[in-house]
Amino acid sequence: MSNTQPAPVASEHVGLKARKVAFDWQETPLHWVPGDPFTTHTINVLHLLLPAGERWFVHVYKQALPYITDDRLREDVIGFIGQEAVHSQAHDDVLPHLRKLGLDPTPYTAQVDWFFEKLLGDRTLPPGRARRWWLKERVALIAAIEHYTAFLGDWVLNADELDRRGADPTMLDLLRWHGAEEVEHRAVAFELFLHLDGGYRRRARTWALAFSALVFLWQRGVRFFLENDPNLLDPKASFADFVRRGREGVLPSTPAMLRSIPRYLSRSYHPSQEGDTAQALAYLASSPGANGGR
Amino acid sequence: MPRFTTVALAAGAALLVRRAVRRRMGTAPLWPMPALDEPVSGYGRGATVPRRVLVTGRATPAEGVVELRLEGERLPSWQPGAHVDLVLPSGLVRQYSLCGDPADSGAYTIATRLVEEGQGGRGGSREVHERLRPGAEVEIRGPRNRFPLAAAPSYVFVAGGIGITPLLPMVRAAEAAGADWRLVYGGRSRATMPYLAEVERLGGDRVTVAAEDESGRPDLAFLAQLPPETAVYCCGPDGLMAAVAAAMPEGREPRLERFTASAPAGGSAFEVELRRSGRTVTVPADRSVLAAVRDELPDVAYSCRQGFCGSCRQRVLAGEVDHRDELLTDAERKDSMLICVSRSAGGRLVLDL
Repeated sequence: MSNTQPAPVASEHVGLKARKVAFDWQETPLHWVPGDPFTTHTINVLHLLLPAGERWFVHVYKQALPYITDDRLREDVIGFIGQEAVHSQAHDDVLPHLRKLGLDPTPYTAQVDWFFEKLLGDRTLPPGRARRWWLKERVALIAAIEHYTAFLGDWVLNADELDRRGADPTMLDLLRWHGAEEVEHRAVAFELFLHLDGGYRRRARTWALAFSALVFLWQRGVRFFLENDPNLLDPKASFADFVRRGREGVLPSTPAMLRSIPRYLSRSYHPSQEGDTAQALAYLASSPGANGGR
Repeated sequence: MPRFTTVALAAGAALLVRRAVRRRMGTAPLWPMPALDEPVSGYGRGATVPRRVLVTGRATPAEGVVELRLEGERLPSWQPGAHVDLVLPSGLVRQYSLCGDPADSGAYTIATRLVEEGQGGRGGSREVHERLRPGAEVEIRGPRNRFPLAAAPSYVFVAGGIGITPLLPMVRAAEAAGADWRLVYGGRSRATMPYLAEVERLGGDRVTVAAEDESGRPDLAFLAQLPPETAVYCCGPDGLMAAVAAAMPEGREPRLERFTASAPAGGSAFEVELRRSGRTVTVPADRSVLAAVRDELPDVAYSCRQGFCGSCRQRVLAGEVDHRDELLTDAERKDSMLICVSRSAGGRLVLDL
């Protein structure tokens, strides 16, 4: 059975700490990928989902802390909590700027707030089994979502096409700082899931839930942005646009995304097998927003 | 064939549902997800970005006070009451209120009084006075506003000495808005009170000057009879702010700007009661609340331990908090604190833990 055990790659483990960041949005235009509102808004959906989503990660993980019996994992989770909290704040800081540019995100973010605070919130559950079940379910959901954040982080660190198209440097720095930290801590959520439960059926079930929720919220977010963008007359978007941008390299490629599905569902999956910690740390050491990683 | 009929019916029903959903979403694109009544996301915290600025002007608006003009490119706009963090050449960080014209987008103006070490100074103002000459480059963060001017039909401003700095742009804004205002300006002597001539010119008899060497401390008794729509703003020494708060009518509070001392490490020892777990811990001068609480409750959440990530935020049930974090808004500070850096401002704290 040894080949079915999730095998961490030891060299990819690093101690985690939250980095204080600051980004100056004053000069960032509404269409920060020049002339490409579709790509801009597809990536902008991150700013709609992450403030509430990552706040929810932190909320759930704080509840998981008492159940962690492994000291190293505990340290990792504590570092993870701080990084996610700062991510949530950094993306939330973009939203007032969008509003200033004429695109009010609140109708959408209020729904995302409801989604994470109410639908996926603590619910009124009796202490004991029911509460633990709901906690494990949410920890497993986070592990599945983190598979995608690490995938996107790895993608954005290598998305040179965005630089070639003259995308706004501050926005790219935000995305790459965030992406690099996602790559850096990509194993934590999965290891916590293994530590608390690790059941394959739960992994598969929560993956399906997380994946459908992400697709649903994402396409809705892109359409929301395009329809409310004050500078667009014909807000049409289709799946074909997405596939084409993926081929051009300004968005993740659809085949690569499809290939990442069986990887997460493989019984021998471990996040340390994907992504490149050294590349992530190198970016963090030079990120202007993260103050050179200090 | 019954099977065919079932399939046809199901397909027909699916098409109808799809059309109905599309029609519904045509009128309300975000249908049918509910929204949180009071959205949490979307407001940002305005993380402060460091900027280099150049000292281009230096003046002495009063004895012991220097005024600096800090020029920079694309400086963010600000509102009366805002301050910047000044990162001094030695690495010390100090907060100074902006006292220039908000419409001037090319420069900020700050003024600082020299506080000698013997008078409780900790070297920040000395460094400003000695090292920030025209031509010097300095880093600033912000501006941030913890002392915003809310719209009101009438205002009372109470300034003590250098505490005039955040109030000066407020006085100008109130005057420009045609609001009814008055200013009580106290200080040791007229010569040590900056911008005195300007506020007197602006306000005439609406400005009451109380120089201690002439007329003693300002008389604040009039505050007890203030009409409810008058907003009171005060900045000055602790004693003055306490006097203003005491003179206000029952149940009303002035808006205060404290000269926040930026977190010196440690402080004095105090007790923290953890109400839910029924325990009390002592926080020694050289340890944080977090460290002391963790001895009792090892699963309490935290992360950065520097007051910026917010993971250790806890509800405060009672006690005065000396907030030393860089994250919480004023509203959040009313009933919570970051236990990794913030401490008691004196006396016992009660946490919901």
